[in-house]
Amino acid sequence: MPVAFRENINRCYQCGKCSTGCPIAEAMDMLPHQVIHLLALGMEARVRPLNTPWLCAGCYTCAVRCPNDIDVTAVMGELREKAIAAGAPCPCPDVLAFHRNFLRDLKRRGRIHELRMMGEYNLLTRRPFRDAALASKMLLKGRLPLRAPRALRGFKRWVRKAGRL
Amino acid sequence: MKKATGLYPGCSLEGTSKAFRTSLRSVLRRLDAQCEPLRDWNCCGASSAHAMDHELYLALSARNLAQARDQGYEEIIAPCAACYHRLVCAEMELARHPETLAAVNARTGLNYGGGIAVLNMLDYFTDRVGLSAIGEQVRQPLKGLRVACYYGCLNSRIPHAAATSGPPDAPGGATRSEYPMSMDHIVAALGAQPLDWSYKTECCGASLFVTASSVSARLVGHILKDAVAAGADCISVACPMCQNNLDTKQDAIRAAFGIGRPMPVLFITQLMGLAFGVSAAELRIGDALVPFQWRVDKGGAAAEVTACPA
Ligand code: SF4
Ligand code: SF4
Repeated sequence: MPVAFRENINRCYQCGKCSTGCPIAEAMDMLPHQVIHLLALGMEARVRPLNTPWLCAGCYTCAVRCPNDIDVTAVMGELREKAIAAGAPCPCPDVLAFHRNFLRDLKRRGRIHELRMMGEYNLLTRRPFRDAALASKMLLKGRLPLRAPRALRGFKRWVRKAGRL
Repeated sequence: MKKATGLYPGCSLEGTSKAFRTSLRSVLRRLDAQCEPLRDWNCCGASSAHAMDHELYLALSARNLAQARDQGYEEIIAPCAACYHRLVCAEMELARHPETLAAVNARTGLNYGGGIAVLNMLDYFTDRVGLSAIGEQVRQPLKGLRVACYYGCLNSRIPHAAATSGPPDAPGGATRSEYPMSMDHIVAALGAQPLDWSYKTECCGASLFVTASSVSARLVGHILKDAVAAGADCISVACPMCQNNLDTKQDAIRAAFGIGRPMPVLFITQLMGLAFGVSAAELRIGDALVPFQWRVDKGGAAAEVTACPA
């Protein structure tokens, strides 16, 4: 029994248009249309180890070009959600770490503090000095404020009810 | 209800892309546009909420839309293309699926009833403000400046939206996904020359710039190369992430891809400001890492407003 997706992937007739336009295709283990095909056949387990959903940049080229109006980008998102929910090992740990850390920062106050978010990401991925030269240039230009934005009132409590993660 | 449009600034415009915010503010002031910043907005969740937690993404957007409604707006713009995309897509999803909206409201204690239109900033300029009003503000036409308008992904690609097509020469049409023209029309109204090129809507890699930098560098390399080949003096963007990705590691990317000359990357609002006679300092032109030099012809006459070649 195929797993249900919010998008109706059964409409796919394997034209390959999503993969043709995908800017990340050459770095992917399997192309977007092949992933959709496996999913339609109920073979989500074979998709799990692939980097495809994790390297998807979310550019929506596939989504606006699909002749059957399937939002392939949304399917990639749902695959990531399902993988996280299942606690499956992630083929692109840096990508996962980035998004997790971003959301953690967001939930602190309702807005992102870019400097802290990037610094924490570097620590999490054990490359503390990644882009350090660039960061110092940005600091000098005033593009990385040291001070965090003011926290929104009541946000921390509210956001606990807002999502699943 | 107010007549004004609400402005959702988003996190980057308060940080890495302050230049976008300040230049937008200057430009709106000169255009006497009825556009005011929202209060108490929260982060849209960017690609992270969207990538990992659909419910959170919908709730974050619903909270922003509810704020806009409670503050009396019917329409908002979000200059950051990523924020815009999140808000417009969430609004569409909530409007199409009342049961989803009800569930989000019930879970989070919000009371959003729909009815906020999320407008693209470029469409706001072409359709609400109007190209002729923009042309009227031009004090120093950007004559001879060749501009590659780069829309990126999220200004123009809205899934499930009918607005992805339209006549090629229609004003506005940022939401036309394959070959948008709205920014080109604005650039032409400033007296500059918009260029026909192939990478208008190609992806810059978004957050892969950080998490898979070699993948993103290749995409950025292609974009820069094509802009150089088209003879551009600069690239114009309407997205903080695009500006960041095209600008901040350009030296290394140019070296890796054999791109001969630097390519300044400006926000469209900075170009508008320059043409309106606002100082480079006020527009924070110097915030970009790739320097932009352009001698404006002092005492130039107002620009002719011409539609650029499609
Ligand atoms: S573009 Fe749509 S129909 Fe074609 S292969 Fe991709 S998902 Fe299937
Ligand atoms: S959204 Fe993802 S899968 Fe679709 S074209 Fe872009 S990178 Fe490829």
